[in-house]
Amino acid sequence: MSDDSLPLALPFLRFAAASSEVTALYRELQKPLLRYLVCLGLSSDEAQDVVQDSFVSLQHHLAAGGTQDNIRGWLFRVAHNQARNRQTSYHRRFGEPLASQMDFVASGATPENAVLEKEKFRRLRAAIGLLAESERECLLLRAEGLRYREIGDVLGLATSTVADTVERAIKKLAEKCNV
Amino acid sequence: MCDLQLKLVAWLDHELPPDQAAELETHLRACVACQTERDKYEHVSTTFHAYCNAVLTARTHRSVPRWVTPVSGALLAITATVLLMTFQQPPIEPPRPVPTPAATRPAAAPIKAVASESAVPKTIHPRRALPPLPAPATKWQPAETAVQISIPAETIFAPGAIPEGMNFIAELSIGPDGSVEGLRLRP
Repeated sequence: MSDDSLPLALPFLRFAAASSEVTALYRELQKPLLRYLVCLGLSSDEAQDVVQDSFVSLQHHLAAGGTQDNIRGWLFRVAHNQARNRQTSYHRRFGEPLASQMDFVASGATPENAVLEKEKFRRLRAAIGLLAESERECLLLRAEGLRYREIGDVLGLATSTVADTVERAIKKLAEKCNV
Repeated sequence: MCDLQLKLVAWLDHELPPDQAAELETHLRACVACQTERDKYEHVSTTFHAYCNAVLTARTHRSVPRWVTPVSGALLAITATVLLMTFQQPPIEPPRPVPTPAATRPAAAPIKAVASESAVPKTIHPRRALPPLPAPATKWQPAETAVQISIPAETIFAPGAIPEGMNFIAELSIGPDGSVEGLRLRP
């Protein structure tokens, strides 16, 4: 390989490296992202589209030499913003979170357990409906394993605010649904 | 209520600095109220996580693959259109109304004239026989497939929209007026 061809090949090498990295991240984070978006109120198809778009954006980001610090938080932030942009009316769609009229597929081993589980989810859903939007979003991101700093990055909040919000939301759920 | 209860959620999330976490853990061993709260918060967190999984399962659970509905609809529409165009019959004209004696009689005859005519013996004309109606078209049902049209899926749908090798056969029953009376799809 001549010296002149190396600079020309660099973007391709960088792109190939970014592709393999994105593929590994996709395997790891596709389901958490999908779950977060669906729980936010997107349909399954919309959520899958947003996940795909987010990973395409990540590939472009990495290929362009973007920062690799906190990639998980970056992906959730991009997905969150894309989900917001897809809503013609954010409050209309997000105001009814976590599928109020959803028929859960209970995983209980026995019919009694299945009924109890559905009843527990029904009470939890009612309690979640009473939470503030930021409280719901903080809990959803926390459920996906994001640290408070990452949640703050996604939602544009200070870490201390996230800590207060999560604590308040958990206490509200514990009081209201008594699961 | 203990002041340390305010830090329980952050401690569960491993977000407390090490010194504060150690202080809280020491306190937890002795404080039953904090232990109860910790158990409650842990249970809520676990249930919330299970709930998110249940929402994902319920939303993404599909009994029928995504492509079946649009493909079936498109095939149905195409088949129905083709068959309607093929078997379309000319419209059957309704029989012309035959004038009856009552219809030909003047509506507003003077009462006097009726009274004077009543003395004259009536000559009753025999009812004119109606021309025979054309025999109704019998329901035509072919014993076997009359027309078979093959439309390659690649010419209709985007590449990859339909799995390779998948075909549908639409069987239609056509009524006398050319409308579709029954449709059955089989793979």
